[in-house]
Amino acid sequence: MPACLLCHRSTEPKISLPWILSWQPLQQPVVCQACWETFTPIFSSQACIGCGRAQTQRSLCHDCQRWAPMAFDNRALFTYNEAMQAYFEQYKFKGDYRLRQVFRAVLTAKLVSIQADFIVPIPVTPDTMITRGFNQVTGWLNDGENLSWLRTTDAAKPIPQSHKTRQDRLLTAQPFELSPDAPDLRTKTVLLIDDVYTTGRTIRHAAILILENGAKSVIGITLAR
Amino acid sequence: MQATELYGRQLVLTPLAAKELPAETQKLEALHVTAQQLQCQRCGSLLDRQLAQLPRHQFYCYACITLGRVSTLTSLYHISEPNDFPKKGELTWQGQLTAQQAACATMIRHQFEAHQRQLLWAVTGAGKTEMLFPGLAWALAQGWRVAIASPRVDVCLELYPRLQAAFSNLEIALLHGHQTDPYRYCQLTICTTHQLLRFREAFDVLIVDEVDAFPFAANPRLGHAVEQALKPVSALLYLTATPSQDLLRQVRRHELGLSYLPLRFHQQLLPTIKVTLQARWWAKLKVGCLPRPLRRWLADYANRGQRFLIFVPRVAQLAVVQAAVQQAYPELKGLTVHATDPERLAKVQAMRASNVQYLITTTILERGVTLPGIDVIVLGADDPIFSTAALVQIAGRVGRSSERPTGLVRFICQSYARPVKRAIRQIKLVNRKGRRLRASMPVVSPLD
Repeated sequence: MPACLLCHRSTEPKISLPWILSWQPLQQPVVCQACWETFTPIFSSQACIGCGRAQTQRSLCHDCQRWAPMAFDNRALFTYNEAMQAYFEQYKFKGDYRLRQVFRAVLTAKLVSIQADFIVPIPVTPDTMITRGFNQVTGWLNDGENLSWLRTTDAAKPIPQSHKTRQDRLLTAQPFELSPDAPDLRTKTVLLIDDVYTTGRTIRHAAILILENGAKSVIGITLAR
Repeated sequence: MQATELYGRQLVLTPLAAKELPAETQKLEALHVTAQQLQCQRCGSLLDRQLAQLPRHQFYCYACITLGRVSTLTSLYHISEPNDFPKKGELTWQGQLTAQQAACATMIRHQFEAHQRQLLWAVTGAGKTEMLFPGLAWALAQGWRVAIASPRVDVCLELYPRLQAAFSNLEIALLHGHQTDPYRYCQLTICTTHQLLRFREAFDVLIVDEVDAFPFAANPRLGHAVEQALKPVSALLYLTATPSQDLLRQVRRHELGLSYLPLRFHQQLLPTIKVTLQARWWAKLKVGCLPRPLRRWLADYANRGQRFLIFVPRVAQLAVVQAAVQQAYPELKGLTVHATDPERLAKVQAMRASNVQYLITTTILERGVTLPGIDVIVLGADDPIFSTAALVQIAGRVGRSSERPTGLVRFICQSYARPVKRAIRQIKLVNRKGRRLRASMPVVSPLD
């Protein structure tokens, strides 16, 4: 019996007459209904247009008003709540790579709906690659590899972002650079993908770098906000 | 890292963290990868290649990941156990063992001396911990490294102060998942069975308490952990009140010795289970109506001020049952407790201190707690969540003090499910043995 990846209880597949008649293989859910409902989705009609945070109307939230305006906006899929925190603890910090399956389907479905010339996942440092063994963003998208023309500089991340205060995070220096084999970005739209948007510092650094290299606009997609 | 931190242990470290280790450290393969199979060298699980896959042809173990991830990116580090203990702990316990307890204790000591494996089947409330003291004292005097492990954190937390009091000059390490103190190298270790996964060939004597409890019985990794934590020549003792079929099979195959204690320390038999069949008890309770027998019992308890526990199969039922009881008998004061309750310990303490008259709980209070002079009611004892062992343990909460060595154990169920029948039979069997033992004993009061 397959078990839910999050609570390890066995999941009963729903067997219905239409499914039997469809003659298709059984689609197993990777998480059970109860676990899935602990995550809160964000609807774009009720989210900040700058960072994707859930709010009552579609406007710029007070955090986004403080950022210098640029051709970047972020969209988030879920609110960063306790369940999401627990998920990231298990997936990213404990390194349970199986959990990439939990959000793979929703994230790929979201990507298909957005028009962009390049899809770029935020990279992790080589040190993280040695200890964690995978890039949490590309884990959802394809193979967990860390190969991208956007890469971290050697000086990046002596302290992980998650160990810093908000002030320290906002003061972080540019951690990214473009590799020599980067394509011509002029007049192109780039889709950046990251795991969590907290202060927005990391993804905005990446967006600034790409915009400086001539891109027309940058769209951010993060799993959580 | 200190060398003592690695004595008899196997720790997972990344190459970065393993730069400054003592010279005698052995580096062991963390995951054994062959073309056919993939085996975690810490927990022994055979892994599914697809699930264990990391990028760049690396693998990790998803089975024991809660203790820190084992992967092909890491190695296990180990220093063989030197038994380097400066001071030998002495038994400072002043209590007296009853005649049968003393007989069992001597047997345990002999088995330790002979490096044997055995099972001690002692009824709930027999005083198992005290029986260990002579054997433990002997093993510690030999300079042996000893561990007492249990699947349940609560059991470990209860054992620790009792052992610390019995061996007051000895440093004891307490290890469990919520522990915040750093690891200490001690001659005596009390830990959960999961923590044994961090040891390799460390212990001369290993005692596993409540061996039939979840998750030990259902988890082959923990059996592997026990084997791995033991030295090649060592003694192993399983303690339980409700041995599983599997353990009894090992006894029949002579892989395990068996010693028996069918009487409680106060020489009384176990209270027997009384079953009341009640169709649709849950449907009635859900609409706030107590089943008639339950109403009668509660009225009696409210009258006499008798304290009691109510067990229900599921966490979601706790609030419903409490509301119904509150409504019918507002003079009864009680609380509900479940596994993830943040105030769990405080609530049990309130019950122990007689601040409340009853607790409504799930199987978490089935073992390891002594609440003197209580009665027990199990609602829906035929639910699959209650195993035979769980039911015997629940029944064993009753009559544990010498002031009130009897009490009532009552089950409400819709049918005589197999675990219910087996639990009744097991208690009867033990009581029969106990009665025989009592008849063969000289007539003396245990208190003189």
